[in-house]
Amino acid sequence: MENIYLAIPLSALFGSILAGLFGRQLGRMLSHTVTILGVALACVLSLVVFNHIVLDGNTYNGAVYTWAVIEGIQFEIGFLIDNLTAMMMVVVTFVSLMVHIYTIAYMHDDPGYQRFFSYISLFTFSMLMLVMSNNFLQLFFGWEAVGLVSYLLIGFWFKKDTAIFANMKAFLVNRVGDFGFLLGIAAIYVHFGTLDYVEVFKQVPNLLDVTVTVIPGEEWSLMTLIAILLFIGAMGKSAQVPLHVWLPDSMEGPTPISALIHAATMVTAGIFMVSRMSPIFEVSDTALSVVMIIGAITAFFMGLIGIIQNDIKRVVAYSTLSQLGYMTVALGASAYSAGLFHLMTHAFFKALLFLAAGSVIIAMHHEQDIRKMGGLKKYMPITYWTSLIGSLALIGFPGFAGFFSKDSIVESVHASNLAGAEFAYWMVLLGVFVTAFYSFRMFFLVFHGKERMDEHTRSHLKESPLTVTIPLIALAIPSVIAGYFIDPIVVGDFFKGVVFVDPAHTAIAELKEGYHGVFSFMLHGIMAPPFWLAMSGLGLAWYIYLKNDALAHFAYNKFRWMHTILDKKYGMDSFNQVVFAGGAIALGKLLWRVGDRFLIDGLIVNGSAKAVGFFSGILRRIQTGYMYHYAFSMILGVLVILTWFIFGSKG
Amino acid sequence: MTFEQIIFYFFSTILISGALGVVLVRNPVYAALFLILSFFTSSAIWLMLEAEFLGITLVLVYVGAVMVLFLFVIMMLDINMDPLREGFVKMMPLAALVAIIIAAEIVLVMASPSFNFDQSVVHAADYSNTKAIGNILYTEYVYPFEIAAVILVVAIIAAIALTLRRRKGVKHQNPSKQIRTKRNDRVRLVKMPSSSTQNRAGE
Amino acid sequence: MTETIMSDISRALPEIFLLVAAFSVLLLDLFLSKSMKIVTFLLAQLSLLTTAWLVYNRMGVESIATSATVNNVESVQYALAFSNMYIKDALSDLLKIAMLLIGSAGFIYTRQYLRDRNMFSGEYYALVLFAILGMMIMVSANSMLLIYLGLELLSLSMYALVALQRNNGRASEAAMKYFVLGAIASGMLLYGMSIIYGLSGHLDLTGIAEYVKSSGMTKAGSFDLGLLLGLSFILVGLGFKLGVAPFHMWIPDVYDGAPTAVTQLIGTIPKLAAFGMVFRLLVEGLGDMQTSWQQILILLAVLSLAIGNIIAIAQTNLKRMLAYSTIAHMGFVAMGILAGSNMGYSATLFYTIVYALTALGGFAVIMMLSRKGYEADQLSDLKGLSQRHPWMAFMMMIILFSMAGVPPTVGFYAKMMVIQSVVDANLAWLAVYAVILSVVGAYYYLRAIKIMYFDKADTETTQAETGHKIGLDSHILLSANGLSLLALGIMPGALMATCVAVINVTMK
Repeated sequence: MENIYLAIPLSALFGSILAGLFGRQLGRMLSHTVTILGVALACVLSLVVFNHIVLDGNTYNGAVYTWAVIEGIQFEIGFLIDNLTAMMMVVVTFVSLMVHIYTIAYMHDDPGYQRFFSYISLFTFSMLMLVMSNNFLQLFFGWEAVGLVSYLLIGFWFKKDTAIFANMKAFLVNRVGDFGFLLGIAAIYVHFGTLDYVEVFKQVPNLLDVTVTVIPGEEWSLMTLIAILLFIGAMGKSAQVPLHVWLPDSMEGPTPISALIHAATMVTAGIFMVSRMSPIFEVSDTALSVVMIIGAITAFFMGLIGIIQNDIKRVVAYSTLSQLGYMTVALGASAYSAGLFHLMTHAFFKALLFLAAGSVIIAMHHEQDIRKMGGLKKYMPITYWTSLIGSLALIGFPGFAGFFSKDSIVESVHASNLAGAEFAYWMVLLGVFVTAFYSFRMFFLVFHGKERMDEHTRSHLKESPLTVTIPLIALAIPSVIAGYFIDPIVVGDFFKGVVFVDPAHTAIAELKEGYHGVFSFMLHGIMAPPFWLAMSGLGLAWYIYLKNDALAHFAYNKFRWMHTILDKKYGMDSFNQVVFAGGAIALGKLLWRVGDRFLIDGLIVNGSAKAVGFFSGILRRIQTGYMYHYAFSMILGVLVILTWFIFGSKG
Repeated sequence: MTFEQIIFYFFSTILISGALGVVLVRNPVYAALFLILSFFTSSAIWLMLEAEFLGITLVLVYVGAVMVLFLFVIMMLDINMDPLREGFVKMMPLAALVAIIIAAEIVLVMASPSFNFDQSVVHAADYSNTKAIGNILYTEYVYPFEIAAVILVVAIIAAIALTLRRRKGVKHQNPSKQIRTKRNDRVRLVKMPSSSTQNRAGE
Repeated sequence: MTETIMSDISRALPEIFLLVAAFSVLLLDLFLSKSMKIVTFLLAQLSLLTTAWLVYNRMGVESIATSATVNNVESVQYALAFSNMYIKDALSDLLKIAMLLIGSAGFIYTRQYLRDRNMFSGEYYALVLFAILGMMIMVSANSMLLIYLGLELLSLSMYALVALQRNNGRASEAAMKYFVLGAIASGMLLYGMSIIYGLSGHLDLTGIAEYVKSSGMTKAGSFDLGLLLGLSFILVGLGFKLGVAPFHMWIPDVYDGAPTAVTQLIGTIPKLAAFGMVFRLLVEGLGDMQTSWQQILILLAVLSLAIGNIIAIAQTNLKRMLAYSTIAHMGFVAMGILAGSNMGYSATLFYTIVYALTALGGFAVIMMLSRKGYEADQLSDLKGLSQRHPWMAFMMMIILFSMAGVPPTVGFYAKMMVIQSVVDANLAWLAVYAVILSVVGAYYYLRAIKIMYFDKADTETTQAETGHKIGLDSHILLSANGLSLLALGIMPGALMATCVAVINVTMK
């Protein structure tokens, strides 16, 4: 099996290298063939691994290669393959494969065709390295590598100013998160003396009472500190408030990567990481509360912004933010299995929604404003039906995948007894309404109602080619049925031995108690408030946008202040722009003038360079070219050594 | 002081003065002759150490062959030594100082207890140094011996590669080429049109 | 008796084979016309590869058979031959394979260069083979006599190789300097060896080590002065061979004056042999005097790092610059050895192999840019290389980065391991000093990169280059060479583990 584990990321890497370095020689056709074959192989092998690990009940933890040994600490590349990893591998490779196929049509006319395939394969490799890691070093490598590819892909159209701005923003904001993450890893390295997951988890109980002093006079629990630092990393990658600002802008990148990276896989890395680190998080209630509250804020407030967005991709992006918030809340409530379950279902239906949005964008000739769409149902039947499935899954309509995962999150938050659980519960509950409202607002505006596009576009409207619709259909299937895995994953023993839950945190246990099979869960769901909230959101959207659009204007005029707040995204972007970006630039200018120009350039760099150059000029004269000078220097060497030995060693 | 010691000091004094002479005299031929003197005296010292074979070899090989060749070369090249000695006087004090310090330090070490050997090994009357060398040269020391041979071969290759050259513009005969030459190589029959000359003659 | 001889021969088979092969190349070459010289090349190449295969094939097998338990602690694996003068152990095997493979790569790089300069001849190849033979003898020596003989075989071949281009005045001058200074150094080494022999009565290193252990110390607790006297002269010889200051003076002149093909040879494989020689003499023979030679090596390392890195800045000639860079690198090698721990020796072994690989590529680029009647040995010849040959420029950049020690190239890792071992030896100040001078050194490597990437090429250079073709083999090899530096930098584990294992097995 070891070879298979190794082959999975390497086959993706191999495709990426071929397409990246030899793309020009290979041509378009061969480039996409090798990358797709690489990822397809990875996908098939992942299924094999899933079968071996999950169904046959094995786990694997071993080092593949020792990179370096420093002071007895091994820095290794190694794999930890258990149920969690196997699930992530299947999700990553499957979605990636779908996106690869979809890209053939979507990027058809782009000059950077081969480059794009190389990047997405490279992303698949990095993401696999991240999830398969058995130590923090490799985790960090994967973490940074997916960040790098994300940066490259957001700025894929590097001639577009907004794309460059967006990728810079993503890069910088992630840097903040990574800084916390790195500090967390450093703290683990210092206090645990190892970077291996299993070793670290083994030592957690011994270090429960350790406190550290960060600010003089304040003693903090080490475990809380580590957990929060790691979570800061997760906040950056999984776009939690206040480090979420990069994700909506990342929609400047091509749609396939929005689906792959910024919806299905990379942004869930934070969720994955926190679940992986559950033994650390579980020992700190403070950290869990922080996680839950941050998640709840993200889930509700980011959903609200989605309501007023008019760019089709941005609506989906804000919906992603809100759903990530749901997952985070679940982590905070110690319902890791629910969070991870939502991660999986969300990967399918959100990728589906993004790819469907992409399909619409292709048909509309890269017009992304939903106010200029409408009535697309009759032109694009496949896109319509798959979008409907995706939207129903997203709002948690009973029977669809999202219903099971979201309901279990809501239930477990309800059952949680941590500080802030009450607040979180209300947030996620209201979030359900908001989700339904913005999802179907977009859905109705795009597919129903009047055809608001111009004549030229309308005449060219047609269903997208097969390479687009096949991935849509392939993703629609799990969007419906994945929910039925709730049985093993959430209430079953799927994550037993992988995710550690403190017995004091009873959320998931209570959920299990109240669970009596899929159908009773559905029946119970229909009676519960989330369903009615979702239905009312859907209904309101239907009424406002299809029946009585005067109401929208009325509301707009009445609550303009609210619209303004949402439109400004609570002022966070402006705040960042003015305070952080502006402040950094001002500080940079100051340092540049005083520090760089005067001190470093003037004195240290040029000064020392001049000094070294001066000495160099003098010293080179030793090399006279005369042999007897050379011989004489050797003799002097003899003299010094002899004298040292005879007189030096005695004293 | 025993008789042996007297002889030893006698030869070593000559050896050291000879070696100094090699470095100090202005005339290269004298220097070579001083070197021969040094070889002779050191061979005498080796004889005192019962290393007859080495002593004789030194005289035969170095004095008999190498130094004679060396003298030939010096005389044929007729090097003007004056430019080479430029700055000799200027450098002399510093060089002498360093040399004296090193020599002093070596003497100091040599005088230390580590070099205080009680008695040299005395061999029986029928002991033959030559025989002893013969016994081990091709058995125990065959490996280094062969390598030494390889080094000599490399020296020959190097010498030939560096000096063998066919100079251009030097007139010399190549007998084998002369013998193998054919008529066609030397004589070329050229047909000339005869009409033009006749015309000219006719005018 | 015959049995001993047979087993002796079988242990030294790689050396014997190479010797026979060298003579065959020399003889066969006589019968080849000028257009057929490629046969000589192929034969020489085949000799090296076969020898490497012989070494590889016989690795371990015999050693384990004769492994012995010393002090009932560790099983030491080595085999002796020829009256204990020849030793075959893990270190000698590794160094030999590295030397032979690098030599073979060097042949590929130099083929076109030699052809253009009428040096594509049997003498060249025979001399190189003899030089490599000398180095193999050195690293396989268990006796001071053999170290000396191997060294002489190497040196003599090298002197001749440097001067091989007879009409080149600079080369002749360089060869002359190399020869005279080399002779002085050899003399000193021999003098030191003779003192040690005189005191201990042993030529073989094991015997010397025993002597030092049993009676090397005086009652006062310091070392016997006679031994120290011998040691100091040995250190001079070693210092010259390594090329550390103040015994480095020959390096810039010889690197600069010699044809680049020969410079490449001098700059790569002999460094491995020098490490082998230093290890045999200082560690295996005089290992118990580590406290003494450590001090001198510190001095040499400090001087080398300063002189190498600082003077290199003032150079305009690329070959001279690389020469000074060698001096600085050898300072690092001295640092690793003076740490005096298994870790330090392993790090040095790693460093030396990596340096040889890096220098191999560096000189290869100079050769690939040169052509008939034009040596691309000035820094300014690199101008605009990124436009003319983007891939080659990229490879050169990796090579220079590796020399400067910039991550993720292997040079960084190598330097880090050496510095780590020096820190472990409680010489943190030396480590800090080395880091500072490495930063100074980075300046001239980066300047070369800047010239390649940001300076515009002269029109003459571009014009002169049209029609100049470089063989595909060189290109492929250069790519492999450059990328291996990158790959080793990212995954140094395998090679480092080998070095550690080899040193652990070899240390007795």
